Amino acid sequence: MKPNSSTNSQSVNSTVGGAKRPPRIPIGHWLGVLPFFVFSGLFLIGPTLNLAYRSFEGLDGGLTLNNYRQLASDTVMNAYGMSIKISLTTAILGGLIGFLVAWVVSMGGLPPRFRLITSTFSGVAANFAGVPLASAFVFTLGRVGLVTALFKAFGINLYKSGFSLYSFLGLTLVYLYFQIPLMVLTILPALDGLKREWREAAENLGATQIQYWRYVALPVLTPSILGTMILLFGNAFGAHATAYALTGGLFDLATLLIGRQISGDVLHNPGLGYAVAMGMVIIMAFSILIYSVLQRRSERWLK
Amino acid sequence: MTTSPASATVTVKRPVVRNRLVSWLIFGVVSLYFLIPLAATFYWSLRGMKDVLGFEAYRKLFADTNFLPAFSQSIVNAVATIFLSLLIVVPTAYWVTLRLPKLRPVVEFITLLPFVIPAVVLVFGIIRLYSAPPLLFTATYNSSRIVLIFVYVCLSFPYMFRSVDNGLRAIDVRTLTEAAQSLGANWGTILFRVIFPNLRVALLSGALLTFAIVIGELTIALYMAQHTLGPYMSDLTRSKVYEPSAMAIVAFAITWAAMGIIDFVGRGATRHVQMVEAD
Amino acid sequence: MSYLSISHVTKQFGDTVVVDDFNLDIEKGEFVSFLGPSGCGKTTTLRMVAGFEIPTAGKILLDGADITDKAPNQRNVGMIFQSYALFPNMTVAQNIGFGLSVRKESKEMVAQRVDEMISLINLEKHALKYPYQLSGGQQQRVSLARALAIHPQVLLLDEPLSALDAKIRVSLRAEIRAIQKKLGITAIFVTHDQEEALSISDRIVVMNSGLMEQVGTPFEIYNFPTTVFSANFVGSLNNASAEVVDPALSLISIDGVQFESAVDLKERKKGDKVRVAIRPERLSFASEQKKANVVDSIIENITFLGSVVRIRVKIGNTKFNMDTFNNPFLDLPKIGAVEQVTCSREAVLVLDE
Repeated sequence: MKPNSSTNSQSVNSTVGGAKRPPRIPIGHWLGVLPFFVFSGLFLIGPTLNLAYRSFEGLDGGLTLNNYRQLASDTVMNAYGMSIKISLTTAILGGLIGFLVAWVVSMGGLPPRFRLITSTFSGVAANFAGVPLASAFVFTLGRVGLVTALFKAFGINLYKSGFSLYSFLGLTLVYLYFQIPLMVLTILPALDGLKREWREAAENLGATQIQYWRYVALPVLTPSILGTMILLFGNAFGAHATAYALTGGLFDLATLLIGRQISGDVLHNPGLGYAVAMGMVIIMAFSILIYSVLQRRSERWLK
Repeated sequence: MTTSPASATVTVKRPVVRNRLVSWLIFGVVSLYFLIPLAATFYWSLRGMKDVLGFEAYRKLFADTNFLPAFSQSIVNAVATIFLSLLIVVPTAYWVTLRLPKLRPVVEFITLLPFVIPAVVLVFGIIRLYSAPPLLFTATYNSSRIVLIFVYVCLSFPYMFRSVDNGLRAIDVRTLTEAAQSLGANWGTILFRVIFPNLRVALLSGALLTFAIVIGELTIALYMAQHTLGPYMSDLTRSKVYEPSAMAIVAFAITWAAMGIIDFVGRGATRHVQMVEAD
Repeated sequence: MSYLSISHVTKQFGDTVVVDDFNLDIEKGEFVSFLGPSGCGKTTTLRMVAGFEIPTAGKILLDGADITDKAPNQRNVGMIFQSYALFPNMTVAQNIGFGLSVRKESKEMVAQRVDEMISLINLEKHALKYPYQLSGGQQQRVSLARALAIHPQVLLLDEPLSALDAKIRVSLRAEIRAIQKKLGITAIFVTHDQEEALSISDRIVVMNSGLMEQVGTPFEIYNFPTTVFSANFVGSLNNASAEVVDPALSLISIDGVQFESAVDLKERKKGDKVRVAIRPERLSFASEQKKANVVDSIIENITFLGSVVRIRVKIGNTKFNMDTFNNPFLDLPKIGAVEQVTCSREAVLVLDE
């Protein structure tokens, strides 16, 4: 029986052609992956590289760093600032609440089916962003929303006391609706990775519950928790649809600013628009990078 | 000679009971946050007729002349995206696992890009590159639509690749391929009779996840001026009072259905794989 | 009064009795193994000593103090897990120092004890490594050091070698035993591997479905099993049903072939059905005529097992394994040949059916 190694390029050709041929450049193998590279090159990488290139183009057509200098302008900084503020807030809050929920359903003593319901629901809610989510909150906390009305019935006028769904606070509340589930989904497996033996070994060595969490469980989970929070940050930072649907695209967010720049040159400088977009990509790339580094460390521990 | 087990259970159980109370409390409060918006939306969706609760808003929504075209267009887009994505990702994942492991880091990096490039930035880039000569791809509505689908295909790469890759890992594709080869199967037979049937669950979950994301997508469709469900829903919130609530409930139901099916078949699959491992 | 006394301990999970009336007194410095198949209750018993399970009934006394209901972190017993259970976020040194740190011992004291322990297990070069950088055997040694660092009154080992390669298993087994003797620590060792139990223990408790089958030294357990279960579980064994022929002379017959046993059969009557067990290594070819228990056999099969050659012989209608040490000059019979085999009276064990 002939050796059937598939670690090198020979077996495809030899099986198809019958006779053994000397190894050569396996053009056939590249065909399998070619469409993938063509598509991502044309519709993912190419357009972005184009933006990157044009972000260095001045109004006169020459190459310049001027557009990046102009990022410091108030319009851009306000948009970036609010984006970062909302992303940070919802990442931290969503992270903490999501962690609590994951902890409660996995080891808080609730019946096991609650865990199942929670993870299924989280899968739904994490993908429920966009127009429907915005609508749902309008019907809940908008000016005539059900909860707003309920508060009114108890004599509290939410909107007169400073609340608005179309503000930082309102947007935070809406974003948490997909941030918390995303945290639950990513942190549940990490919690499952905590071995029962670690708790028992800690107890056996004289540690209290609190000491176990303080010295073992939390440090082991920290890379996952931090990493996922950074993922949440990126998730909120790049979010456009929900905020657009909620505020009609007029709120001060980096994504909405870019949206306005697409429709009409609101910045009065196309190059600046490209720089704003590239700034977002850079921030996103950073957060994904830190996320993958932390994730790798946590995998090493939890396996 | 027996000790009193009662004293033992009391000392052990008290903190558990307190924990459980806190657990229920946290779970309850968070559940309220998640359920109230759904309940409120559902309530509004039933108020389409004055003074009576009923499904009038849903009837009006489905009767809207713009709804069905937008909905069906989105479905066709989603199905086309899934089909193309499968056609691209399955061979890629298979080749990367079996033939070109050196390419894996590159492919994995590219599948991360949709998370790095926000949708609004991507559509910005697409429009600036393909809406002007020399690459005028978006000259007509239909050519724009094709570009939109191609962009969706790229956005589905992370989900699709991960699903398929996990699926391939779970079945140990190398051994299966070698076993099939040693029994004399050719490559077509191996792919369609051995690999695909074993990947059914992975393919299905990748497809459904893509469906859930594409069906109501707003940002890219909006700036490419496509009359799909996302922009339609967005217009609806500005022009109608009750229909948006019905629309939101329908959208939620679709997402729920997609995720529910993924969960359901996924659980069956893990059980199956675990059984195989236990042997 | 013994050092560790487990008396009338029973454990139920719901309606299932996992451990049934377990009674054992362990002396200080003694190394005791709980041996049995999975699900026999050995681990549950160990976990009750550690405090991870509370007995449904019964008492556990350690050095005179009742620890039956004490929380695990209030007992001073060291436990070693099959999966090592090292904390992945801590270095070897931090793992070993953990028990002392949570007891709020001074930094100097912890550091000194950690150094002692690291040299005890010969891992000086690895003190600052993380568990994932160590091999399985090294990890288990760290876990041993971690358990010993707190000066435990008892050391509990829950199948500590099961996850390791065969070679490491043997060497670490010897190392554990040497350290245990050196420190004079009392130890309970749970295993399903009879060879492990026989080689490492002062005493063995054979367990089966929640019950203690037999307690004794490895020598006793192997040579004088009292139940069919412990005879079968420890070592390999030829089993045959037999009939008492003459109670006074301890004569029994297997398929009409008579054997003489050293076991006292006066309690039994002629014609009683009994179970007879003979270890394969106690059977041999009959070289001298004078011995008792010389019977004819047909050679059925010969298997070469390395240091041992296993010969399958048929005596009457019953097949027996006969083990003989391998040597290059061994004169093996032909398959199908008729040979006389023999065993001493003491080798013929008579067990309850």
